[in-house]
Amino acid sequence: MSLIGSIGSLPSAHLQRLPGAGGIGGTDTQLPTIRTDGVGGASGVAPADFGSVLEKMVSAVDTKQKEAADVTRKVLLGDSDNLHQSVIAMQEAGVAFQLMVETRNKVVESYQELMRMPA
Amino acid sequence: MVDPIFQSSNYQLASKLLDASVLRHEAIASNIANSETPGYRRLDISPDFATELRARMDSGDIASASQLQAKLSEDANARSMRPDGNTVAIDNELLQMNRNEVEHDFLTELISRNIKQLRLAITGRPS
Amino acid sequence: MNLISGIDVTAGALNAQKTRLDIVAQNIANTQTTRGPDGQAYQRRVVSFETELLRHQQQASGAGQSLQSVKVAQISTDKTPGQRVFDPQHPDAGPDGMVQMPNVNLAFEMVDLITASRAYEANLSVVKNARQMAAKTLEIGK
Repeated sequence: MSLIGSIGSLPSAHLQRLPGAGGIGGTDTQLPTIRTDGVGGASGVAPADFGSVLEKMVSAVDTKQKEAADVTRKVLLGDSDNLHQSVIAMQEAGVAFQLMVETRNKVVESYQELMRMPA
Repeated sequence: MVDPIFQSSNYQLASKLLDASVLRHEAIASNIANSETPGYRRLDISPDFATELRARMDSGDIASASQLQAKLSEDANARSMRPDGNTVAIDNELLQMNRNEVEHDFLTELISRNIKQLRLAITGRPS
Repeated sequence: MNLISGIDVTAGALNAQKTRLDIVAQNIANTQTTRGPDGQAYQRRVVSFETELLRHQQQASGAGQSLQSVKVAQISTDKTPGQRVFDPQHPDAGPDGMVQMPNVNLAFEMVDLITASRAYEANLSVVKNARQMAAKTLEIGK
C-alpha cells in the first residue's frame, strides 16, 4: 500500500482538525501542496483562513520593512537627524520578520509532522 | 496584523518621549552655545507637549498620541540674570543636560527591553 | 548625516570661543606694547558674538523655534585710551616724558580667559554627552 494512497484515504475533515493544518485539507486524491516560502497557504479548496492570514502577515511585514527603509533613507540623506527613529524602525522590522519566519517554520514543521503520521 | 505587537502604550509613550529627549538635548546645546550672546533667550521643549501628551494618553487614544510632535520654544519662565537680557545660566543647563541623558538612557533601555522580550516570545531563545 | 544631535550648534560655539581665546591671548601678550605697526600703543581687541540661525530641517516645516548657533560678529578695537606713564627714559616717551601704555587690564583679561575656557569646556561636554546618547541609541535591541 503506497504511502500516497494511504494519505489520500484519510477523510479531509480529520486533516482539518489537526492544529496548524487548517488550510491543508484538500481533495482526497491530491497531495496537499504548501508553498514553503510563506506566501499564501494551500493551493486547494481550503477555507481561506490560514492562507490569507499568512498573506496578510507577509504584506504587513513588507510595509514595516518599507517604513524602516524610508526612515533610514531620510537619516542617510541628512533630511532627518533622528537616529533613534531609524534604529527603532529597523529593530521593529526585524522582529516582525522574525515573527513571520517562525510562523513559517512552525507551519513547515506541522506539515512534516503530518507527513510522518503512520498510515 | 503585525502592528499590534508594537502597540503597547508604554512602548509608544517611550518612543515619543525619546523624540522629545533628543530634541531637548539640541535645545540645551543651543543654550550652552549661546550662553554669552546678548539678548538670547533659552530654548526648551514647549510645555504644552507634556500636557497634550498626557491628555491623549489618558483618553486612551494611542494613535493620536503617536502623532504628536515635540517642538522647541522659548522658555517663558527663564529670568534674565544679566543686563544684556541673556537668560542662560550655564550651571543649570549642565544639570539639565545630565538629567536629560539619564532620561534618554532610561527610555532606550525600556524600548530595547520591549524588543528583546518580543524576540524571546517569538523565537523562544534569548537573543 | 547628522548623527550626533546638536553638533552643528556646538561646532559653531567651539569655533567662536576659540576665536575669543585667541584674542584674549593676543591682548595679554601685548600688555606692554607701546608701539605697534601703526606707531601707536596697542589697543585691546574685543570679540562680540551674535546668534546664527541654523535651518533645522525637522522644524523647517512649521512651528517651533529653530536652533541657534553662535558666531563671532566682529572683532572690534577698544578705543578707550590707556594709561599714560611718566618715564622719560623709555624709547617711546613723548616730549613731555609720558609714555602711552596699552589699555589692556591684565586682571580683566584673565577673567575673560577663564570664562572663555569654561564656556569651551561646557560645549565639549555637550558633544561628549550627545555622543554617549547616540552610542546608547545604537544599542537598542542588542
